[in-house]
Amino acid sequence: MTLASKLTRTMAPTDEELVEQFQGGESSAFDVLVYRWERKVQGAIYRLVGPGEDVRDLSQETFLKAYRGLRTFKKEARFSSWLYQIALNVCRDRMRRGRGKSYVSFDELVEAGEAGAEAGPSALDLIEARDLSRQVAAAVAALPEEQREVVVLKEYQGLTFLEIAEALDVPLSTVKTRLYRGLGQLRQQLVRQGIRGGAPVPAPTT
Amino acid sequence: MDCDAFRDEMIDLLYGEAAPAATARLEEHQAACRACRDELASFRRLRRDLASWRTPPDLGRAPRRLGAARPYLAVAAALVVLVGGGLALRGSELRYEQGRFAFRFGQAPEAAALSTALAAQDERHRREMDTLRATVTAASRSDEETLQKVRQMIADSEARQATLVTTGLTRLEERTEARRQYDLAQVGAGLSYLDGKAGLQAARTTELMGHVLQASQKK
Repeated sequence: MTLASKLTRTMAPTDEELVEQFQGGESSAFDVLVYRWERKVQGAIYRLVGPGEDVRDLSQETFLKAYRGLRTFKKEARFSSWLYQIALNVCRDRMRRGRGKSYVSFDELVEAGEAGAEAGPSALDLIEARDLSRQVAAAVAALPEEQREVVVLKEYQGLTFLEIAEALDVPLSTVKTRLYRGLGQLRQQLVRQGIRGGAPVPAPTT
Repeated sequence: MDCDAFRDEMIDLLYGEAAPAATARLEEHQAACRACRDELASFRRLRRDLASWRTPPDLGRAPRRLGAARPYLAVAAALVVLVGGGLALRGSELRYEQGRFAFRFGQAPEAAALSTALAAQDERHRREMDTLRATVTAASRSDEETLQKVRQMIADSEARQATLVTTGLTRLEERTEARRQYDLAQVGAGLSYLDGKAGLQAARTTELMGHVLQASQKK
């Protein structure tokens, strides 16, 4: 059966329905979940670990763990939150194990951008979007891990606060506090780099 | 004024998740609090800046940088490039040029390097073939010479052998003849000796018989 026909047959079901099908013995339901979430998970991983890491590798690790854990997945949880939770753990592991640091440096980002520019259009994005994109990437990379995770999941992955709270297993208010601090830090960082867009308008003195 | 109390609501509002009641409360506060108003506005501008960071389109593929650290990826990438490059090279020049400009910038120098490498390899291959061919020809020529030499050597050897055999035979013949004559002489001598001995014996026997005869006659 082709993926397309599988998709037309299973276009309607929600993630949770697919999980149920999978748990009922229909392994192909997992293919649909992968098809549905792979790109998003890769995007999250890319922004969490930085361009120097092998996103595909980490994404595959994430889905492998998801596949192994899906049989015992509790249905009251949201599949997306659960999947992001796995991805976050994979990224944390990689960062702690791999480099002994929690974020990529600005120099590495620039280096990766330049290396990529020779390699293909991937890095052209960074170069073409010029300073802003690169500096945003560097500023996000420079955030403390907890803030970076929330910023990535909210700003770039578009998860709801509830989904983020589930994925991180923290209270809603904690998610909002981390996001508030993260945004504040990003604004400060970008202002320092000469990007005025995020700068607060100075209050009139009178 | 306790602006911190409105922080969560502001974040909700910023991302469109605020409940209507919370929005109303925040707006009421902001009408009186310029700092909160400015902060929300600055966060909105910040979000526009953040949106400029996009993921690369080839996200799912292995980054090229890793090629150095992981040889098997480099090998796989090289294979892909080789196949792709080979296909490109098989096509017309125009197609190649189109490929160069229509697709990635990164592929142009690679394809150029590839064609150079292929040309170099072809050249090397041809050189090696020529060398090999020359060696084979030289070998066959020298083989014939060797064969000739061997044949000559065999002929020489045969001649020498023949001479040796002839000489040997002659000598053997001479020796055998000498031996035969000597043996004949010995046999002759022996026979005469035996003849003599036998004659003597016969005489003695005859004499003895005469004596026996005489003695019997006397009785």
